[in-house]
Amino acid sequence: MSLIAIIDDDPDIIDASSLVLKAKGHDVITANNPNDGYSIVKYKKPDLIILDVMMDEPDDGFYLAQKFRKEGITTPILMYTSVSKAIGLDFGKSEMVPVDDFVEKPISPEELINKVDALLNIKEVN
Amino acid sequence: MNDCKGNILIVDDEKGLRLGTKRLLEEEGYIVAVAQNGSEGLQYGTTNDFDVAVIDLKMPDIDGMEVLQAIKQSHPNTVCFIATAFASYDTAIQATRIGAFGYIPKPFSPEELTYQIELGIKQRKLILDAQRLEQEREKNLLELANEKSRLNAIIKSINEGVIVINTNGALAYYNYSAIKLLGLSSLNIGENALSILPEQINEIVNKIFHSDKIMLKSFSTELSLNRQNEIFLEAACTPIPNPDGSLAGVVIILSNITEYKRIEIIKNQFVSMVAHELKTPIAAVQGFLNIIKDDSLNLSEEKKKDYLQRSSQRLKSLTDLVNDLLDISRLELKTKQKEIIDVNLCDIINSTLQMLELEIAKKELTIEKNEIEIIPLIKADFNEITRVVSNVLSNAIKYNKPNGKIFIDLNSSQNYVILKIKDTGIGMKDSERQKLFSEFYRAKNENTRGISGTGLGLSIVKRIVDSYYGIIEVDSEYGVGTTFTIKLPINPN
Repeated sequence: MSLIAIIDDDPDIIDASSLVLKAKGHDVITANNPNDGYSIVKYKKPDLIILDVMMDEPDDGFYLAQKFRKEGITTPILMYTSVSKAIGLDFGKSEMVPVDDFVEKPISPEELINKVDALLNIKEVN
Repeated sequence: MNDCKGNILIVDDEKGLRLGTKRLLEEEGYIVAVAQNGSEGLQYGTTNDFDVAVIDLKMPDIDGMEVLQAIKQSHPNTVCFIATAFASYDTAIQATRIGAFGYIPKPFSPEELTYQIELGIKQRKLILDAQRLEQEREKNLLELANEKSRLNAIIKSINEGVIVINTNGALAYYNYSAIKLLGLSSLNIGENALSILPEQINEIVNKIFHSDKIMLKSFSTELSLNRQNEIFLEAACTPIPNPDGSLAGVVIILSNITEYKRIEIIKNQFVSMVAHELKTPIAAVQGFLNIIKDDSLNLSEEKKKDYLQRSSQRLKSLTDLVNDLLDISRLELKTKQKEIIDVNLCDIINSTLQMLELEIAKKELTIEKNEIEIIPLIKADFNEITRVVSNVLSNAIKYNKPNGKIFIDLNSSQNYVILKIKDTGIGMKDSERQKLFSEFYRAKNENTRGISGTGLGLSIVKRIVDSYYGIIEVDSEYGVGTTFTIKLPINPN
């Protein structure tokens, strides 16, 4: 059992993701903006962060990830992306983006579970 | 009837001969004027440009020679014949000296006359052709003299920069625009152009210099120069061949494409924003469907229903978004004709309030209306004005606080109808207010979370108001409320 934080401004995405993760027995905490997201990570210390790249501003998810790393928070981050790749941004290849994996929206339950499990396993091994 | 073969003047005091000649020549297809004495002949001949004139030598009033002289003086191209029964060598010489083309001895046969006239007409044609050629030649010479200075003036005055470089790299020609576009202080004929021009242009020029055969096509490059403001240039380099086919040099045309670049950036930003806005609801719906499909999640029927309901809500907002995008495109392209009628703004406000009744009741808002008794009708498209009013009013509801108020003030002054809609809502910061009319801009903060919208509404409102040469202003105090003022011309013309 792990604690997973979902930070996304779309309540429907939060809801769908929570349901999938809860069905696999995880506990979920959520935030719908970068500020609240920062707080829940800081104080609830989740095992994994699912972070939307684009919330109030086009790349504020990306800046939040940088902020976590700068403050020494090493929690694995799974980043939700939407059109970033289509418009030419390939975060996956950039070392500037301090996240561990990406999930392209729309999410499929299977892919989400696989990626979450993979990141949690690495964390356990470490 | 034959086509007119020419205009002939017959000057003769002998009536029978005059009329006989006239009939004969008219049958041959000439237009014939007759003068019955010297003074009449002189008058006709000097006031009209006849092709051919046949002048009798001996007339009672004015001598034929005198008539000939006067005609040749005023119309040197009229071919003149002298006709007389007193033929002598001397008069013939004298007549040709004055300018007669030929001499017709009387009496003459019809064949002889028509033969002479035909010769005269041929001569007339030769004279006119020669004259035309001479005029053209003079004009051409004049043009040639002007050509060089004119071409120079044209190249100097165009906005595009022009630079010509010899094969040894020396500057052979430039115009002022080239100096300006490249941000140089000066250029000098003969100096090494390659040491002055930007690297990107040099590369192309060198490529042309070093290619084996001359290709008569231009090679273009885009470059950005950073001065006070970044400017983008397009440089088109074209080889100039010598008459023998060898390379004489390169001409470089510089165009300022900064504005194109700016528009391209705006377009790209718009496209990615649209893509994001379109994909967000699709991703949510697809996510729900993926979950509903997945049997391993053991979703309850109730939950499935809830997700389907929310999916259809998202699809509805997606449809709204697409419609808004279509509206923007329509307003931009001006493809749809406005249906201009007399519009009563008061009626539109009332029907819009009725339409929004449910939302107003939900937030328990109070509406206060203040309108003058007779509000002038405006000439406008009913649907567009309804769109403006309903958009601003629904914003006043959406961004209002529960139990808040909306003040509606309708007034007119001079050529404008003025509508003020004031709410007691969350208000805006200055930075938010400035971006209010941009596409997809929605103030995002803790107060606006959960308020839905396409982010295109006010952008559409502004476009509509602008299309009527109206004015829309917004006044706002953060946390206190916002006032929209819309001024629409009563008669847009």
